[in-house]
Amino acid sequence: MTIHKITLRNILLAALVILVAAIVLIRICLHRSIHTTSPEVNSQSEPQRIVSLAPNITEILFELGLADKVIAVSNDCDWPPEALGKEKIGSFWQPSVEAVISCKPDLVITLWFQQQSNVADSLKRLGYKVLTLRLEKLDELAPAIEKIGAATGRSEEAERLLGDINAQIERVKQKYDNQTRPRVLWVVQPEPLRVAGSNTFITELLELAGAQNAISLTSIQYPGLSTEELLTCRADVIIQAAMNKDTIEQQRREAVEFWSKYKNLPAVRNNRIYVVDPDTILRLGPRIGLGLEQIGRIIHEP
Amino acid sequence: MKAKTLTARNVAAKTAAALLLLIVILFFCTLTGSHPVSLKNALSGDEGQGHNIDYEIIFGSRLPRVLLAAIVGAALACAGVTLQAILRNPLADPYILGISSGAGLGGALAIMLASVLGSWAGVSVGIFAFAGALGTVWLVWFIGHFATGRSSATSLLLAGVVVNAFFSALIMFLTQIAKSYQLREIWLWLMGSITEKNLAVIGASAIAVLLGLVGLFSIAQRLNVLTLGRAEAQGLGVATARTNLIAFALAAFVTSVAVSLSGLIGFVGLIVPHGVRLIFGPDHRQLLPLSALCGAALLVIADTLARTVIAPAQLPVGIITAIAGGPFFLILLARYNRKVSWTK
Repeated sequence: MTIHKITLRNILLAALVILVAAIVLIRICLHRSIHTTSPEVNSQSEPQRIVSLAPNITEILFELGLADKVIAVSNDCDWPPEALGKEKIGSFWQPSVEAVISCKPDLVITLWFQQQSNVADSLKRLGYKVLTLRLEKLDELAPAIEKIGAATGRSEEAERLLGDINAQIERVKQKYDNQTRPRVLWVVQPEPLRVAGSNTFITELLELAGAQNAISLTSIQYPGLSTEELLTCRADVIIQAAMNKDTIEQQRREAVEFWSKYKNLPAVRNNRIYVVDPDTILRLGPRIGLGLEQIGRIIHEP
Repeated sequence: MKAKTLTARNVAAKTAAALLLLIVILFFCTLTGSHPVSLKNALSGDEGQGHNIDYEIIFGSRLPRVLLAAIVGAALACAGVTLQAILRNPLADPYILGISSGAGLGGALAIMLASVLGSWAGVSVGIFAFAGALGTVWLVWFIGHFATGRSSATSLLLAGVVVNAFFSALIMFLTQIAKSYQLREIWLWLMGSITEKNLAVIGASAIAVLLGLVGLFSIAQRLNVLTLGRAEAQGLGVATARTNLIAFALAAFVTSVAVSLSGLIGFVGLIVPHGVRLIFGPDHRQLLPLSALCGAALLVIADTLARTVIAPAQLPVGIITAIAGGPFFLILLARYNRKVSWTK
């Protein structure tokens, strides 16, 4: 038990000095890198190597005719099918900075949420050109497409795409406007039951498609429903998001069986239970107009 | 006391060896990743964005991450050692007194308020988590120490359990009213992951953690005495209440820094102290520095696995520490049949 405090302290002090010195050194190294790179380098010319971190961004890029300029996408980018063949930079939820850098991009497009904005910040520090978009509500789609168009030199194509999407939405709106508005229960997950509440993007779509959400005002986005509320929601149509897009028919059979115990719901009595692929219908991208048409058809033209 | 006498030279040698090992691990983990890079090329320096990919990957992506993992690992391991000593409980880890739920609540709040916070959203999660963690620790200390009228490890632990349960319920409530994408953000944050941060953040937190650790090292001898029990410690002339407070505050501080950097990474603060104790014995004068270095090494390796096993996709590092840490700990237990204990 003979230990000299001073010696131990000296060791610790030395360790401290070494670490601080190392940090300072690295700091100087990186400091230089931050200031010698200029993010303006590519802003004049059109980007030739684009990396997209989200499925809806990828879809927009392909729609703008940038298929051959998109170098890499996230693992979750599955549409259009050509996107599957692109280089991968990790999952939508945890993209890898390293994988992005190794693609030598001249434009990286990310979404706004925590995990992606972390990646965006790291890339910006290295001098990469990054476009970060908010894309959570229907009215954020138009500005997002415009920004992507402006950043890629495809503003005209972006305007045309927006025109098409708006025309599709307008058509659906006109078509079902003067009909009675059926009450739709949108099921996010059957067991335990979770449905789309009133203040969601889904309610927006339902209203555009000439229907209404069977669930009235809730503060919770995707509430669980008690049997009592379920029985009194008077849903005319039940639409259930598929868990797996390959087994939709089977999931529909299971859903019909699951709902058969709530006989007093008009949807169950009239066999108006549907299972849809949420990726094609709900992804906030260029296909949203088509998704809306599909929702309209399901609700009004059984 | 069957253990060999601990000499300063002995401790210094072990610490130096562990430091060397850590540096080697840091070096190799920086060179490991989903993309092969050439060190020589990287060291030739920056040549403007997109020209020297190797440089950008190593200095822009991997090194910040590796350093961050080292800081967080060292902080969690030392906080674990300290809390096990002052609570005299082998199950104690850095999160036992409610820090996890306090930090979680802060982080979840920041994620939900992201649109209000605007451009501050990126850093606010860390700041909120730090504030939440420190606030909770203060609350636990207050309840455990003053509200119950006596200062025992048990009342602190009970206060920790109660505060933990309460804040966990608040987090659950927040996840109920969160939007679906926020839910996933919160969930991923709670699992803990190391992400690239800028050098200023890394430097500041490295200094903060180092100061905390040096503080803990300086009371190592008193921690040794504390583990004998309160009465014995007082008999030996140690001001238990003050030592407890200092140790508790320092452990809480370094844990809060760690949590604000990386979310809630479990297991490191539990396994590393026990592992080091099993191999080298329970004297805090070597337990603390060795745990810091081993904790750093463990988390650096775990994070390297997290970013490479399913590359280019990544795993939350908390999953790796739990999966790898559990069995590793059992092997240690089986090999060293000394009792797992927190006393000497």
